[in-house]
Amino acid sequence: MIEYILIVLAPVFGGVLYGFERVVRARMQNRQGPPVLQPFYDMYKLIDKNSSIVHPMHIVLAILHFITLWAVVALMILGYNFLYVIFLHLLATIFIILAGFSVRSVYSHVGSNRELLAMLAYEPIFILIATGFYMINGSYDISLIRQEDTQILSMILLFAAFLLTVPLKLKKSPFDACEAHQEIVGGVEIEYSGIYFEFLYMAKWIEYVFVYMILLLFAGNNILLGVFLAIAVFLIVNLVDNSTSRVNIVQTIKIIMGIGLTLSCLNILGLSYV
Amino acid sequence: MELLIFLPLLLALIVPVSGIKIRNLIVISFVVLLSLFSISTFLDDRLYSLTLSHDIHTFLCVADIVLLVYFLAQGIKYRSKLVYALAFVQLILYLGIIYLAPSMHGIDLLSDELSRVMYLVINVVGGAIIIYALEYIEAENFSRLKKNSFIALLLFFLGVMNAIVSTNNIEIFFLLFELTTLCSYLLIRYRGDDIAVKNSLKALWMNQVGGVAILLALVFSISTYNTVYFSELLKVVDDSFLIPIIFLVIAAYVKGAAFPFQNWLLGAMVAPTPVSAILHSATMVKIAPFIVLKLSTAFSPSLSVMVSIFASFVFVGASIMALNRDFFKEILGLSTIALLSLMMALASLPSEEARYTAILLLVFHAISKALLFLQAGILEKVYHLKYISDIDNLVDHAPRTVFFIIIGFASLTLPPFGAFIGKFLGIEAITQAISQNPLYIFTLLGLIVGSVFLVILYFKIITKLLTKEPFKNILKEKLAFKYKLGSNILFISLFIGIFLVSALNVVEVLIPVILIFISPFLLKYFSFKSAPRVKEYNCGEKGDFEVGVYNYALSSNVIQKMMYISIFMIVLHLAIGGGILK
Repeated sequence: MIEYILIVLAPVFGGVLYGFERVVRARMQNRQGPPVLQPFYDMYKLIDKNSSIVHPMHIVLAILHFITLWAVVALMILGYNFLYVIFLHLLATIFIILAGFSVRSVYSHVGSNRELLAMLAYEPIFILIATGFYMINGSYDISLIRQEDTQILSMILLFAAFLLTVPLKLKKSPFDACEAHQEIVGGVEIEYSGIYFEFLYMAKWIEYVFVYMILLLFAGNNILLGVFLAIAVFLIVNLVDNSTSRVNIVQTIKIIMGIGLTLSCLNILGLSYV
Repeated sequence: MELLIFLPLLLALIVPVSGIKIRNLIVISFVVLLSLFSISTFLDDRLYSLTLSHDIHTFLCVADIVLLVYFLAQGIKYRSKLVYALAFVQLILYLGIIYLAPSMHGIDLLSDELSRVMYLVINVVGGAIIIYALEYIEAENFSRLKKNSFIALLLFFLGVMNAIVSTNNIEIFFLLFELTTLCSYLLIRYRGDDIAVKNSLKALWMNQVGGVAILLALVFSISTYNTVYFSELLKVVDDSFLIPIIFLVIAAYVKGAAFPFQNWLLGAMVAPTPVSAILHSATMVKIAPFIVLKLSTAFSPSLSVMVSIFASFVFVGASIMALNRDFFKEILGLSTIALLSLMMALASLPSEEARYTAILLLVFHAISKALLFLQAGILEKVYHLKYISDIDNLVDHAPRTVFFIIIGFASLTLPPFGAFIGKFLGIEAITQAISQNPLYIFTLLGLIVGSVFLVILYFKIITKLLTKEPFKNILKEKLAFKYKLGSNILFISLFIGIFLVSALNVVEVLIPVILIFISPFLLKYFSFKSAPRVKEYNCGEKGDFEVGVYNYALSSNVIQKMMYISIFMIVLHLAIGGGILK
């Protein structure tokens, strides 16, 4: 029962997390920042806006993106196969990429292209993380991974590789080339307005939940460690976001693939000798 | 089993002389019959075996010599040194084998589980393509006899393929292997222009390298193990001397167009599209994973590592090479090479699960690729589009074709489709293998990275298809019946395949199925009428927007190095198999 409540509330958690992050980031910059519930105020305001569309397919694909992401998080909460979850997440990403390509807009296309290339960087690492869990627990099932003792020490390199992908997935500097507000005005988001933009906005929140849920998997059944990891990663990511400048998409791929893949492979090799 | 072999051959004899209406009727009804036969054979699990009489053996020997002499003559006629040299070498080797080979008696034809799966692929997918070809070939400018013989040749090809997957005798296997080479040679040069002839000769000599490899395998098999039968060879073969097995694997590399033999398959693009469709999906290239699947039980651990690393190397290499191609069929071709290597990589692993995933990939790749090639043909014939860069606003007037292309690509990479499940289980199988031998990590890495490259490749193409003009409604697309029939059969089999493969649980299957298949209906019934339509905002920038795609080209230097590496690795195979390296 509790799982289903969590599934329904998942976007809300994401929204709060997103709002909280804006506060933390503002404080790091010595600003006051918006209230924690600002994302929800934004949502309320968006309903009133004029919702014009370019063509129906564009909208449908965004809605599908949102629904799929929600399903991804739902399957994670219910403890399904981790590897499958990663591929379903890929499907969600593909939906938004297709949406971006379906309009004749330069920014939208550039955004989609970068999103596609970013996949090259994080997808292999995610799969290798799943492989790592499989080698330790003998199963991809999330419910099983959550019951076992934490193995973060024997997966420390995979964890480091995962940390590298967090800014990319959450669109944080230095790996925020996919969205890059000052440069390509949000990329894929640009052609959405009003109530239809809300789907993308909420999808972004769910992406937060997705990333932090993967993080929690590293903690296994140790809830205290999980909380600690989440807070630590949250602070580190925001600190890095505040203190670095954006690198372009090619550099992003080179950095993440070069370092991340090497670390992951070393870890898997290590695991195979145990 | 005999029916599956002889029915297409018989049909191939009737077709050239009949009129167009009768031809279509006969071919469609027989193709349906063949598909039904293959399904019933598939469901029937009895082992079926057959021994051919001495006379038939003699006849097959004569046929083989005639065939090799024909290749020799073609080589001399077109002054292609490689062709006649290789034909000559084969002739000598073959005569030597006939002289050497003891008169053995054993099971010549055998239909095991693997061949029943292959029947299904060959007849259902191949059949759909032939139905499509009936329409396609009418749009060409050739005489009636030539058009009919095209269809006949395709049917003949199906018959040969059905035979090759049931043969247990390596000598007969060699003959059939050469017959597929002959079919592809004739089909590639079908248009008869300069480039077609040039590419067909290339295909001929490269495939003959495979023939030489098989003959060498035979020589070693006879001299060391005194057998010409697959089943016996697999039983008696010893880890310290795997040379016959390895030569057969090399023949597989040739047919599968693995590096450095990729050019024959890419050159085959000059042929009419149904030819590419049938070469890439149901026939010819599928011999490659078939051979590896057949032989992998006899692989030594080191050979298994070697084959899987080499194949995953080709997988990644071919996926990257496809990123800068513009010719649609060529992109499909390189992705075929990539995926075939993936199948071989999985097939060579020492576990049952891995073999199963290789078979899954083989089946679903055939369906998806055939679907894609049929759409490529429609693009070419109906919309006059061959290159990705020429495509624009296609979704406005060809939604059906675009939908099928997207499904075709999606089915190779995304859940819930069969090929996805193949890769999905493949990752698990390789992970298990890593705990036995850490070297398999290269296979895993190859699978993951190559797959992501393929996703990028596929969705880069979809970019061009999906870009839509604002303020225009999508029109309904009108296509000839036989075009639709072929694609529909394949689409439906993809869809049925989702439910037949029971690797995922119900929820996992249903979520993506609903998401993917609901979207066209959402579009149809939700037209968002109340929302005002606007032109793209595009930050207020004016001016025409031309849709482009990015390219990523490897320099020719790198490609050359890749070829050297692959040749080196193939040589290494022999060193390992010969027992030099342990």
